[in-house]
Amino acid sequence: MKFTLIYPKWKKLRGQTEFHLPPHGPVVFAATLPRDVEITFIDENLETIDFNDQADFIGISMMLTSQVKRGWKIAEEYRRRGMKVVCGGIATMLHAEETSLHADAIFLGEAEGRMEQVLEDFRNNRLRKVYNYRTDFPPIASVGTARRDILKRQLYSYKGIQMVDLFHASRGCRFDCYPCCMSFVGGREFRPRPFEKVVEELTAIDNNRLYIVDNSLSQDTTWEKQLFREMIPLKKKWCCHPIEDDDEVLDLAAQAGAWFVYQAIFDTSDFIRNRIKRYHDFGIGVEGTILLGLDRHTEDDIRRLIDFLLEIELDLAEFTVLTPFPYTRAFADLQGKGRILSYNWNDYTCDQVVFQPKQMSPERLRQLYDEAWKIFYREKSQPYRMFELFERVIDKEMADGSFQRQPRTRARRKFGQGEQ
Amino acid sequence: MIEDLILKLKKEIIEELNVENMTPEEIDAEAPLFGEGLGLDSIDALELVVLLDKNYGIKIQASKEGPKIFRSVKTIAEYIQEHQEK
Repeated sequence: MKFTLIYPKWKKLRGQTEFHLPPHGPVVFAATLPRDVEITFIDENLETIDFNDQADFIGISMMLTSQVKRGWKIAEEYRRRGMKVVCGGIATMLHAEETSLHADAIFLGEAEGRMEQVLEDFRNNRLRKVYNYRTDFPPIASVGTARRDILKRQLYSYKGIQMVDLFHASRGCRFDCYPCCMSFVGGREFRPRPFEKVVEELTAIDNNRLYIVDNSLSQDTTWEKQLFREMIPLKKKWCCHPIEDDDEVLDLAAQAGAWFVYQAIFDTSDFIRNRIKRYHDFGIGVEGTILLGLDRHTEDDIRRLIDFLLEIELDLAEFTVLTPFPYTRAFADLQGKGRILSYNWNDYTCDQVVFQPKQMSPERLRQLYDEAWKIFYREKSQPYRMFELFERVIDKEMADGSFQRQPRTRARRKFGQGEQ
Repeated sequence: MIEDLILKLKKEIIEELNVENMTPEEIDAEAPLFGEGLGLDSIDALELVVLLDKNYGIKIQASKEGPKIFRSVKTIAEYIQEHQEK
């Protein structure tokens, strides 16, 4: 069977770097398909879809709310040509009802052990409209090594530098943060993968630099320490979401190759100041993710926050505007108060103001958002700060002998141009 | 002469960093290298570090003296000159 798997394009956050990372959802999903299924993967951010290509069955994998409208269009285009389309992924779960209007089937939940049935139904022309496994999680040990072989590698190399590969060691999140939908999507029970599976997958990845995409590594101290111990011999270098603030944990993380952490920064407290310092003390960089537009944010608060970021010597900052994604506490809260201004999912890119802020007008918040990027990167530009982070990883690699210089012949490529 | 060094550096940057559609004359020696100006990015900066090491035997650490040196082609040239005179 020929299965074409599509990852729809979306508009990137303004101010973000132009790097494109190899997506994670599609490669994890691909591992759930029987090996005799011939998969063609198209990352529409980097390639053009040829709707006339022959395929038996089409899958559309959507992670972001800002992908769904494009995903629906793609589904319709294929269906017009008489092909069957199944949609899945996080954004399909968040927008299930709307998505089911545009697809032959939608798959909600985690796909391990479930795709044989879906394919069987497809072959017998009895696809169900909805496959709902949202709260019925498969055994975590059944999560196999992601099928990174479906990626066109050359697309994810920027000027000769291979981008990080994405990887996950666990699912579920015990936290339920205000703007986050993960408790709806993956449940609040922390589900770590068996270490032998983690090591097996990490060993199989032909890339020394990774992005560990687990919601937070700070879920279970014993697990976290063991994870890092298992990773030390592999000499990978990686970025991730928060690591627990504990001497032994941070030390093990550093030994295991922690490069930098994405850390939410929500106020100017000593708690945050200390948190950043602690990472730095262990040689771990910090990219702050700064959410603007919370109810308590006044204009002065936002300005103070930006100054604070410079003061605590944050390595990189990514500013976003609070965006009420469906099935988050933010959505329930703002919708309940009639404060959501737009349900155009294309605007849900986190750089648009789609709700009525409490302390200022939407326009003012938008201006402050633009100012935040400008002020933070005024002294040291974003490329320069990225450069410093790259240098940090190269230093670590040089120190443990894992540095590999990219061949000069590859240095002239840019994204999306492929082999030259 | 620093002017000669600046010209040489401009040629090396165009060649080794593959700066498209630009001649040495079009590069303002005092314009910022990153963002607006020459528009180099983080990967170009890594190449620049390699270039200075390879062609001039100069090792620069981004986080320490980097921001001052990597301001413009002129500041790089000044640093090279100063360093090589020592």
